[in-house]
Amino acid sequence: MKRKTKDSIAKVMIYGATAITVCVLFFIVGFIFAKGIGVINWNFLSRDFNDQIFYAFVEPKETPLSMEQNDFEKENSYDKNYETLISGPIYNEKIGAGISAVHYENNADIRDHFIISYIEKDSPLKEAVESNQAPIKIKTDYVIESINGTELTGLSFDEVNTLLNDDGKTLKIKMISPGGGIKSNIITTLYMIGLSLLIALPIGIFAAIFLTEYAKKGRIVSGIRFATECLAGIPSIIFGLFGMAFFVVILKFQISLLSGSLTVAIILLPVIIRSTEEALKAVPKSFREGSLALGATKLQTIFKVVLPCAVPGIATAVLLSIGRVIGESAALLLTAGTVAQIPGTLFSPGSTLTVQAYYVAKEEGNIELACAIGIIIILIVIVLNMLSRMVSRKLDVFNKK
Amino acid sequence: MDKKATFSIKNLDLFYGKFQALNNINMAIHEKEVTAFIGPSGCGKSTFLRCLNRMNDLIDSVTMRGEIIFDGEEINRDSDVIKLRTRVGMVFQNPNPFPMSIYENVAYGPRCQGLKNKTKLDTIVKDSLEKAALWNEVKDRLNKSALGLSGGQQQRLCIARTIAMNPEVILMDEPTSALDPIATAKIEDLIATLKKEYTIIIVTHSMQQAGRISDKTAFFLMGEVVELNETPKIFTNPDDKRTEDYITGRFG
Repeated sequence: MKRKTKDSIAKVMIYGATAITVCVLFFIVGFIFAKGIGVINWNFLSRDFNDQIFYAFVEPKETPLSMEQNDFEKENSYDKNYETLISGPIYNEKIGAGISAVHYENNADIRDHFIISYIEKDSPLKEAVESNQAPIKIKTDYVIESINGTELTGLSFDEVNTLLNDDGKTLKIKMISPGGGIKSNIITTLYMIGLSLLIALPIGIFAAIFLTEYAKKGRIVSGIRFATECLAGIPSIIFGLFGMAFFVVILKFQISLLSGSLTVAIILLPVIIRSTEEALKAVPKSFREGSLALGATKLQTIFKVVLPCAVPGIATAVLLSIGRVIGESAALLLTAGTVAQIPGTLFSPGSTLTVQAYYVAKEEGNIELACAIGIIIILIVIVLNMLSRMVSRKLDVFNKK
Repeated sequence: MDKKATFSIKNLDLFYGKFQALNNINMAIHEKEVTAFIGPSGCGKSTFLRCLNRMNDLIDSVTMRGEIIFDGEEINRDSDVIKLRTRVGMVFQNPNPFPMSIYENVAYGPRCQGLKNKTKLDTIVKDSLEKAALWNEVKDRLNKSALGLSGGQQQRLCIARTIAMNPEVILMDEPTSALDPIATAKIEDLIATLKKEYTIIIVTHSMQQAGRISDKTAFFLMGEVVELNETPKIFTNPDDKRTEDYITGRFG
C-alpha cells in the first residue's frame, strides 16, 4: 500500500512536469500570437520600418491620359489598418494617377494627407527621377507632401489638381514612402544568417576535421576541446563587447553588417565544431579503411567518403546556427546597431528582427509591434527548420536505397 | 615448378604498445596462389594480413621490426604507401561499400588515382563487375545506391572495387564470415576464378573453407606461424603436433 502511494506520487510529478512544459510553451506562443497577430498584414512585411521622405521629379504628359475605369474604381490602395478614406479618388490626366485624401491614425500620429491610390500604366510617374537623376519607383500608397514647394495640408482636390496641371513644367513632388513595416529587418536577418554561416561553416568544419581525423589524442586536443566548450558557455554579451572593441573600433569596420556577422560567427564556431565532430565520429571506421585500402589518400578519403556521410550532422549544425543567429540580440546590438534599414554594403549597419523587437519593446514601448515581430521570427525559424531538414534528407547518402 | 615469391617476410615482430602480437614471422607467399591463414581468435592472423598493405599504419600504438619484401622493396621503408595499396588490395570482414551508387563504388579507386575519362571508367567498371560475377545482377541499376544490395552482393561489389585497381595481390580478411552459405559459396567460386590472375591471401575462421579454396595454408598460434604447408598436407598429415590438435578440434 505504501509503495503504491509512492509510485502514484512519482507518476503525478512526471505527468505534471510534462503538462506544465507543454502548457507554458503553448501559453507563450499563444500570447505572442494573440498580441501581435493584429499588426501583421502584407504592408507590415513589405514596407520599411521608417517613413522615407524624398523628392521626385516628374515630366507631365502633353496629351491627357485616359484611365481604365475598372482598375481605378477597384484600387484604393491605402493601409486600411491605419487609414480611412475621406474622399476621392480623383483622376489627374497630366500625371496619369489617382489621388485620394485619407485620414491616418497610428499611435500618437494623427493627420490627414493625400496619397497616390492609382497609377496609369503609361503614367509619367513611372519615369520619375530623384534630384541626382537616379530613377525612382513610385508605388500606390505613397503620400504626397508638397508639389513645387507648396504644402498640400488643408488644400482641396481642385487646388491639388491645379498645382499638378501647372503649365506642363517639370513637377518637383515631395513624397513619403510610408513605413511601419519590417522588410529591412527580415532582409538584414537573412543577410546576417548567410554571412555568418559563410564565415563560420568552413572554419568550423575544417576545425572539426582536424580534431577528429588529424589530431593525435593528447593534451593539445583536449585543450582545444575544452576551449570550444568554454566558448559555447560564454554569454553572448561578452562576445558583443569583444566585437565592439575589436571589429568595430580597432579594425574600423564600424557598427556594421560585417562586424555583426564576424561576431556572430565566433559565437557559432563551437556549435558547428561540436556537431560536425560528432557527425564525423559517427562515420564507421570501415569506410575509412575501405577507402584507404583502395589507394586513396587521407584527404580524398575525408572529402569523398567521410564528409558526405556526415552531411546530416552538418545540416543539424547549420540548423542550430541559424537558430543562434536569429536569437542573438545582445551581441548584435553592440556590433550591428539598431538602424532599421537594408544594409547597402558590408560596412553599413542594420538591425535584425530580434534586435528590432528589443528596440521596439524597450525604446518605443510598443508591445504589439514587438509581438508581431516575434511571430515573424517564429515563422522564419519554422520555415528554415523545414528547409534544412528537406535539404539534409536530400543529401543523406544513407537514405538513397 | 617453383613459382615466384610475391611476398617474403623475414623476422617480423609486431607490438601493440607493449603487447607482442606477432613473433618472428618468416614466410614466403607465392604468386597466383591462394594462401589461407587459419588459427584461433587473437592469434595474429588478421594483424599479419594488415601488415601486408600497411593498414596497421592507422593504429598509432603499433611498432614493427623485421622485413616485408614485396617486389624487391621493403614495404615499410622503400615504398610509397598509396602505391602499395593500389598494388595490394584488400577486402574486409564486413562488406563496406561506400554509401554511393554501385558505379561510383567501383570507379572510386581509379578516380582517386586521377582517372577522369568516362569511357575508360565505364570499361573498368564493367570488367571489374564481370570478374566479380556481379555484372548480370546489377547492370540495370548501376546508378542505384550500393547499400540496397544484399550482403553477398555487397561483398562481391567490394571485391569488384578492389579488382578495379588492377592489383597484383588481394588480401581478404574473413570475407565470408558475415554471409550466409549460398553467398559464401558464390564468393568461394569467385576466389577460385580470381586466383588465375591474382595472388590471394585469405584469413578464415573456417577450416573447411581453407581446405576447399586454398593451395597453401598457414597455421597461426599465439602470434607465431606454427606451420605453412600445402593445404592437403596440413589437413591430412601435418608436421607439427599443435597443428594436428587444432585441425582435429582438440582446442580452438
